[in-house]
Amino acid sequence: MTCEELIAHLSSYLDHEMDAALVAEVQEHIARCRNCRVVLDTTQRLIVLVHDEGRRVIPASQRSALFERLQQAFLNRPQTLENSNLRTAEDSAV
Amino acid sequence: MPGPTIDLTVYENEEALLAGLRRRDPDACACLIKRFAPLVYAQAIRLLGDADEAEGVLQQTFIKACDKLDTYEGRSGLGSWLYRIATNEALMHLRQRSPRVGLDDLAETIQEDEMPQRLTPWTFDPTTAALNSELRAILEQALAALPATLRVVFVLRDIQGLSTEETAVALGLSESAVKVRLHRARLRLREMLAAYMQEH
Ligand SMILES: [Zn+2]
Repeated sequence: MTCEELIAHLSSYLDHEMDAALVAEVQEHIARCRNCRVVLDTTQRLIVLVHDEGRRVIPASQRSALFERLQQAFLNRPQTLENSNLRTAEDSAV
Repeated sequence: MPGPTIDLTVYENEEALLAGLRRRDPDACACLIKRFAPLVYAQAIRLLGDADEAEGVLQQTFIKACDKLDTYEGRSGLGSWLYRIATNEALMHLRQRSPRVGLDDLAETIQEDEMPQRLTPWTFDPTTAALNSELRAILEQALAALPATLRVVFVLRDIQGLSTEETAVALGLSESAVKVRLHRARLRLREMLAAYMQEH
């Protein structure tokens, strides 16, 4: 397996979507290739890092203004539900 | 001017909140907002890479959710349901933003210039250390710098944790296209973050 081939297969390897024969080839390659070992390790770190970041929400300091505008937009929203109910009633009356 | 004042303790749990929503309890939607808006907004900003557009998606998501409560079947949690609405809204925005560059219009192979260039190990270990605000900002910039076609796949798969199949369905892509894009997004993000990591 060449470095290019390893890089092309990197995600399949990390996502465990690779058959056993190829997994063995990947492991053999990274055992002797420092560069690919680094790419594999740092990509793995990236995945862990963003996964944890996914549970993060916006900072409290930004929240109150955002909520206020959301609340206003919500209170001023067009009454689509009532409108659509009305329309359905008219349609069925015809 | 004071912010919205909502007593969260009125609804003890998701079930009570849902019952309130179904009764059209005026406080219930406000409570829904307070509980889930931070999550929905964070998802929208990741998908869109733009704070103003994300705020628009946030507002549309909650307006739609509260007006279409009767379509909520309660099989997934309220959070997942809202996530799904927000994701669809955000994808609609992306399609409107560049209607000619469809979300499926992209070379599906690894380009030569996408081969890893930065080959220094990272000292930062996400399994033991939390992101500091500087690194978090770097990550957000890197995400925003990705083309939308790659970003949405990365956000759904690696951040939101959807499966390849779920992502393919959500985006109307083949599973193999999802895999290739995820791979390209990871390589590009790794490269962008590596620039920071090797200096720290
Ligand atoms: Zn190699």
